[in-house]
Amino acid sequence: MNRSDEPILEVRDLHIEFAGEDGPLPVLHGLSYTLPKGRVLAVVGESGSGKTVHALSILRLLPPNARISQGEVRYKGKNLATLGREELRKIRGNKISMIFQDPAASLNPVLTIGQQLTETLLAHRKMSKSAARAKAVKLLEKVGIAGAEKRLNEYPFQFSGGMCQRVMIAMALALEPDVLVADEPTTALDVTVQAQILNLIKQLQKASGMSAVFITHNLAVVAGIADDVLVLYAGMCMEYAPAAELFEHPLHPYTQGLLNSLAPVHEKVDILPVITGHPPLPGKLPPGCPFAPRCPFAKDKCRQVCPPLFEENGRRTRCWLREGK
Amino acid sequence: MTVPVRIEHLFKTYTRRRLLGKNLEKPVLKDVSLTLEDNHVLGLVGESGCGKSTLCKVLLGIEKPTSGLVEVNGQNVPTLSKSEFKKLRRVLQVVYQDPYSSLDPRMNVRQLLSEPLDIHRLKKDKQERKAFLKELLTAVGLSESQLERYPHEFSGGQRQRICIARALALNPQILVADEPVSALDVSVQAQILNLLKEIKKSRRLSMLFVTHDFAVARFLCDDIAVMYRGRIVERAPAEELFTNPQHPYTEALLSAVPSVHAPRRAVFAGQETPEEHPERESWACPFAARCRYAQPACQTQPFALQEVAPRHACACGVLPFKNHKSKSAV
Repeated sequence: MNRSDEPILEVRDLHIEFAGEDGPLPVLHGLSYTLPKGRVLAVVGESGSGKTVHALSILRLLPPNARISQGEVRYKGKNLATLGREELRKIRGNKISMIFQDPAASLNPVLTIGQQLTETLLAHRKMSKSAARAKAVKLLEKVGIAGAEKRLNEYPFQFSGGMCQRVMIAMALALEPDVLVADEPTTALDVTVQAQILNLIKQLQKASGMSAVFITHNLAVVAGIADDVLVLYAGMCMEYAPAAELFEHPLHPYTQGLLNSLAPVHEKVDILPVITGHPPLPGKLPPGCPFAPRCPFAKDKCRQVCPPLFEENGRRTRCWLREGK
Repeated sequence: MTVPVRIEHLFKTYTRRRLLGKNLEKPVLKDVSLTLEDNHVLGLVGESGCGKSTLCKVLLGIEKPTSGLVEVNGQNVPTLSKSEFKKLRRVLQVVYQDPYSSLDPRMNVRQLLSEPLDIHRLKKDKQERKAFLKELLTAVGLSESQLERYPHEFSGGQRQRICIARALALNPQILVADEPVSALDVSVQAQILNLLKEIKKSRRLSMLFVTHDFAVARFLCDDIAVMYRGRIVERAPAEELFTNPQHPYTEALLSAVPSVHAPRRAVFAGQETPEEHPERESWACPFAARCRYAQPACQTQPFALQEVAPRHACACGVLPFKNHKSKSAV
């Protein structure tokens, strides 16, 4: 894998909070990572871990009651968190684009697929309508939709879920962005369709040298597509490592627990090892390590002081067990 | 001996009436035959739209079948009278996919769990009721102290536990579980799956378990039926199905399952999206359009389920896997 020196996307000490009835509710506590060109980063976490909020914050799509309270998101050195509206428009969809979880809900039901695809093109590029249409046909073909010319005139309801997601991908890739942010792009799809969509994203990503941030709760999905994995828990990065190493040898007890609790397909087991308890609610983090109450290895220190991210061989792990390793 | 559930030659067609012209008919279940054996978990696996949920609805008596036999404990469900049907509910209960929408937000746990008991006039004695609710909550891993709480105070996994407790309140013999874990986080999924497995054992339950997740099916199910477009295409004991899949569709499904235990398999090794052949849509075999082993015979012969081994039936006449063992999916 050829890494270029300058990261395409850089998230630095990102804090996000929601406005709550009793003051702000922090949901993300200082997330940092860099995304080099051509790499795929998977952000994995359970519901409520802050993974979607983090994805939305990249393009400043947070709901009105949420805000970035600290930190920055840098795209090629520009801080997206403070960028003016006009400048941000030039980046959204053009340099950084996004795919959402529910493809059927992300498409406008009263516009044809063609209208929606060309809209993106016409908004960002100086091209005639007919040129945009020709490009749209090419895009649909690229994502594997047969009879593209004809299907441009159809409406989203005439497409299946997998097909809609292909259209979303075509739209997201229309302007050859540098970064693709995909928030649970296959969760709403069937396994066979899921495999197709993952393959498609991987192929297109490789061909164009694009970088991608892949948000998911399903570890199995990222195993095939990610270069690096970041495990998020209660708004904090628990573990960051190259994908192969993480799956081979997870260091954090939470990652270990997650991997163990997955039902294996290749063998029959009698009982699934579980992580007992449930994740803390936002605003109600325990004083020490947020995972300590559920951790089988927790010591007194873990319950009192939250560990920093310990670095070793390019991996980062938030666990006292890794101190000095 | 009567088996808990016997379904034979079940057809279900949804009809959309039109003011002018012919009514639109959409066949959803086509000649489905299944048997759920005592204290077994039968997994029903297939993609969305294949008719899994419709089958559950017909079994539960929510939808009337177009034709065919649906027997629960020897009684034909569609012909039951209202009072017989009410009795059936004590035997046959259901857990749905979404624990958020299947609990009334204005009822607390005590009310939610008491409702089925009130309807069937059971455990009327106050002390007895109290003890029973406690036992029920303990069985699903909740505590008595949570009786007065409302659904919104619980997490997704806890809500699903409440749904399971509610289904168990009448002490049923058969549980229909329609994707009970797919709305839950992975770590919570494992907890609920363990719970289902345990209550199956401790309460001698038979379960029809609908899922689209093969990993989940392998963990929990004794037998598995694979559905495709309203038909059962393969039916086998779970281990047999995983180690020796016979239908090309089963193979395709199995190879599409992502796994952390065997990452970066062939699916991701640059293999193209499986080819589709829309021109084969009119063929007799419904899977021909997506089948990589299709042969001219598939054009004309509608393959019925036939036994290929004891308890193992498959609806493919080409049966390519006898020669393709090396391509075994998992």
